[in-house]
Amino acid sequence: MEVLKRIIDIRHWQHRTKIVVGVIFCVLAAAGILAILNPDRQALMKELSPEMQQLIAKDEGRSRKRVTVTYNNLAVISYCSCSSSGAEEMSERLVGFAGAVYHADSGVAKLVGQMANYTYRMLGCGENILHGAKLTIFLTVLTVIFGVILGMFLALGKMSKRRIINRLSSAYIFFFRGTPLLIQLFVVYFTIPGVFGFAWRNLFDTSSTEAVYQGAFVASLIAFSLNSAAYCAEIIRAALQSIDKGQSEAAKALGMSYAQTMGKIIIPQSISRMIPPICNEFIMVLKDVSLVFAISLMDITTVSKNIMTSEGSYLVFIPALVIYLIITAFFTCIYNALEKKFSVYE
Amino acid sequence: MESKYILETEHVSKSFGELEVLKDINLQVEKGEVICIIGPSGAGKSTYLRSLNQLEKITSGKIFIKGNLFLHREKNRTVEKISAEKRRGLLLEMGMCFQRFNLFPHKTALENVMIAPITVKKEKKEAVRREALELLDRVGLADKVDQYPSRLSGGQQQRVAIARALAMKPEIMLFDEPTSALDPELVGDVLQVMKDLAQDGMTMLCVTHEMGFAREVADRVLFMADGIIAEEGTPDEIFLNPQNPRTQSFLKSILNP
Repeated sequence: MEVLKRIIDIRHWQHRTKIVVGVIFCVLAAAGILAILNPDRQALMKELSPEMQQLIAKDEGRSRKRVTVTYNNLAVISYCSCSSSGAEEMSERLVGFAGAVYHADSGVAKLVGQMANYTYRMLGCGENILHGAKLTIFLTVLTVIFGVILGMFLALGKMSKRRIINRLSSAYIFFFRGTPLLIQLFVVYFTIPGVFGFAWRNLFDTSSTEAVYQGAFVASLIAFSLNSAAYCAEIIRAALQSIDKGQSEAAKALGMSYAQTMGKIIIPQSISRMIPPICNEFIMVLKDVSLVFAISLMDITTVSKNIMTSEGSYLVFIPALVIYLIITAFFTCIYNALEKKFSVYE
Repeated sequence: MESKYILETEHVSKSFGELEVLKDINLQVEKGEVICIIGPSGAGKSTYLRSLNQLEKITSGKIFIKGNLFLHREKNRTVEKISAEKRRGLLLEMGMCFQRFNLFPHKTALENVMIAPITVKKEKKEAVRREALELLDRVGLADKVDQYPSRLSGGQQQRVAIARALAMKPEIMLFDEPTSALDPELVGDVLQVMKDLAQDGMTMLCVTHEMGFAREVADRVLFMADGIIAEEGTPDEIFLNPQNPRTQSFLKSILNP
């Protein structure tokens, strides 16, 4: 309750917080208004030429449609394209924005429409979590979580005085940092199933078309996590070793075991020191995840590349960059907040 | 196996490679005795104190706690194995305070005092909390229980550290230059706490440069130099009538700089 009260009490906010919250509020409010004004699908379709409307009407009830209708609703802007093939070949594009509908067959409107369509596809809207930006974020978050957990053990292993554990951890780190991630991905996705005689997609319901994606997702998650663990291990080791030796001596003098010393004293203190480099690692992984295009998972990069090849649009990479930037900015903010939270005592 | 001595060391030696830091140190400490160890830096005072609770591994020698063998090493190898449980039990008979306090910075003063009884002895949180509050009150920090160490002065931190060590109810307290890192005006509070402890009958081994404290509180003063106990005796014997020329020159340099 106290915390809630403090958060609500606007007078005690810092000046910077007020500005940030104000800007976020304004952007959200503007987006909200635009979303309310945004014409819906019906309104958009009404603006199509009579010929096209006739064709669509004829299509109704047919199992094989003549007209391909694409409708992308991005909340603040919507895009609709209809194209027919065969004898009555024609195509029309519409953009709905701020309560009005624009024909987007040429000029600025066409560009805006294209960008809306590309963004829609790269974000993976209307698809499951294994598509577009959703896949990129999901895979990155899971990779870093597994990487940190495994990296923690590797770091402890590398600091161990037992020769075998020490050597094994060092060898692991040496191997995964010394070989290209792309090849590691290929090894996990192609070589291992090849050698052991199984297929990743067989882990899932193969009657569904998604099984291939699910299998590839598992393989890439394994490859990326194993790779990330090697980097996280060095980050964690550096953080653990930066804690004053007096801390473990004090814990030892109080009778704490190694596990208790690590778990209660050393690791909690090193977390705030780990966060900035782990954030760095997260951003690296976010971009490394684009390598999944090599095993045809549909992440932002693969989708943009597909759009480029199928539609010949060289502009598609600009919204791709913007999407990556927004994701990075969002997670950097989260890491900054975490770092503050974990270093309250300093 | 009851023994007259609460702490005994026999032939304790320690060397870092070629360098011999401790040479065959024998010491018997009776219960309730307060022993101050003085001497020039590099004499091995801290190393000796730290090897008692195994923060340093001795090269050879035996350590007994309350008549029980705690450690026996020869030629850098542990000769007699002692079960981990027994060793831990004996280790907990010793509490230690460090020169640099070594409080846990991510825990408040109260949590610092509570953590060891809860994690090591698995005691009930409520009881531990009550005792910890009492201990902090005893060292004069009842109003600082919820502060993080970074908000406390050096003297206050050292007093929390003493309370933290006492929370494990040790029979012997080891002080490794507890006031050396403090501003002069903060030394008094810490020494007062130590005096009170001594009066309550705690067995104490203090490595210290506070000659006034040693004279007033100690039952026995050891003068260490070059890894041996060069001279030992009551405070009066050491401070008023030192026999060893090394003791004489050390005391001269420290008392009349």
